Amino acid sequence: MIVLDKDGEKLNLMPLNVGPSHPATHGCLRFLAALDGETIVASVEEIGYLHRGFEKMVERGTWQQVIPYTDRLNYCSAIMNNIAFCRAVEEMYGIEIPERTKVLRVIVNELSRINDHFVCVAAASQDLGGTTAFMYCFNPREMIMCIWEKLTGARLTNSFSRIGGLYRDSYDGFEKDVLEALDATEVALKDWHACMDRNRIFLDRTVGVGKISQEKAISYGWTGPCLRATGVASDLRKDEPYYDYETYDWEVVTGTEGDVNDRLQVRMAEIEESVKIVRQALKRLSPGPVDIVDPRIRIPSHKLAYQDMEALIGRFKGVYEGIRVPEGEHYCGSEVANGELGFTIVSSGSGHPWRIKVRPPCFTQFAAFHDLVEGTQLADSMATLSSLNIIAGELDR
Amino acid sequence: MESMESLFPVLESKFGVNRDARDKWGLTVVVSADNLHGLVEFLKNDSATQFDMLVDIAGIDYLGYRSALSEREHEGPRFAVKYNFKSMKNPGHRMSVKVLVSEDSLSVPTISDLFEIANWQEREVWDQYGIVFKGHPDLRRLLNHVEFVGHPLRKDYPQQKRQWLSTNDFLLPALEARLETLGYRVIERSKEVEPNPDEFLEGSIKE
Repeated sequence: MIVLDKDGEKLNLMPLNVGPSHPATHGCLRFLAALDGETIVASVEEIGYLHRGFEKMVERGTWQQVIPYTDRLNYCSAIMNNIAFCRAVEEMYGIEIPERTKVLRVIVNELSRINDHFVCVAAASQDLGGTTAFMYCFNPREMIMCIWEKLTGARLTNSFSRIGGLYRDSYDGFEKDVLEALDATEVALKDWHACMDRNRIFLDRTVGVGKISQEKAISYGWTGPCLRATGVASDLRKDEPYYDYETYDWEVVTGTEGDVNDRLQVRMAEIEESVKIVRQALKRLSPGPVDIVDPRIRIPSHKLAYQDMEALIGRFKGVYEGIRVPEGEHYCGSEVANGELGFTIVSSGSGHPWRIKVRPPCFTQFAAFHDLVEGTQLADSMATLSSLNIIAGELDR
Repeated sequence: MESMESLFPVLESKFGVNRDARDKWGLTVVVSADNLHGLVEFLKNDSATQFDMLVDIAGIDYLGYRSALSEREHEGPRFAVKYNFKSMKNPGHRMSVKVLVSEDSLSVPTISDLFEIANWQEREVWDQYGIVFKGHPDLRRLLNHVEFVGHPLRKDYPQQKRQWLSTNDFLLPALEARLETLGYRVIERSKEVEPNPDEFLEGSIKE
């Protein structure tokens, strides 16, 4: 297409379609860029290739049946999503979960965060041609995946949290496994920094690329590491603390420039903070119950159901009719790896949710994509895309 | 949260808002569609409130809603659009604004001029519920397919209904619109912009 620019100069632009199934478009994303040579002049995006109707599907099940669906939102840190959902429902009940559950949820949350950040940084390194850095990140990730396997029985879409408790207590040797994974994480961090921090190719591709200002990032509703990379110290774990996050000793990491390099470095620094939190949490882990005792919220265990009539009834009603969440409308946001994952929940007081609206963190980040890439080169758009950590599962729901 | 409690009387006198009794955990105000834009602008810019981040826009359909406890049916307009705000300058401050939308009007003024993200979020609500955002620059489907018929999150859309969808979203007109907003003027369009309908649906079973 031929266009006139602001000074009246004639330009011959080439529209180029990128995606939806391209190795660098992580999942299924598509954008159409108008190119002047190799420079992107304008870009528009299309999403929805992975739209499965999450919000329609959850309306026909019970409240507990929502939990496995939430795993499929951000599948790189599945357990974190179902903890966020359980927290939203628990807030509506106004219940306090047992101390051990709180600590276990913190440990699982932070391990998921490490996992998710490693996947993002590994994929970004890979997209820039650095397979070594990719492998550095995937070694500790594999150890965490093995912990998930022992803990939940699944590697990727694992659901561990339940409303009012956990699926089950941790296994024997859990602490030892976690400590080993943390040690491996620290080694990998060192290796990655040694490989990338002063790597000429990496810096040329990432510094000053895909920049965004603080005002713009806030106007686009950015949260999480991408917003913190612009220098805004906003973290729900500090601002609206839950699970006693305020009592752990850790810092909110911020960047200065808001470019690709900052977004990746903030993620790597956040892994360090998460390691700190998990080490402290392991020391607080003391024996105790993991479920609250209320058959109207958390169904009684199998063991109880075989001995006790009331427990059997509670289990039967809890499974067939579902728990009844207090009537009303509530929004609750939690800090997940990508930013703020929020649930707007409408309950009619019955055993089925009336409406659950998910607020996925990467939706807001991808909405700003054209602003980030316009004026940069086509190859930079790939670096920008991987630094945003777009997970199509939660973007499209 | 004391300042949040003192905020409500101000909004009540200025914009005639009501408190939504359905939100028992935080502050949700119900405002008429006419006052929405003014209220959001006030919330965003006034130094006492400063809700400068639009977190989410959620559509709600109350068709067939029945309270399980009191067994009362839902009264009032069928749809609602709920906006969640938070403040970056006063961390931890949140509130929601709700607009009730009747089936006859089905429209709400846009706030995409105040928040960049409202553009996509309003597109999503339109896509899923068919609520029109008046003044929106580019109200297209977002999550559902371009050929999709109907609005799937409405309670009367059958869950098992299937539709045959065959082509991609045709993004060239949107790209041209984007170029125009950036200050470029398109003088010669690509020949693909106005496709031959036969070619466009080639490979589809649509007759």
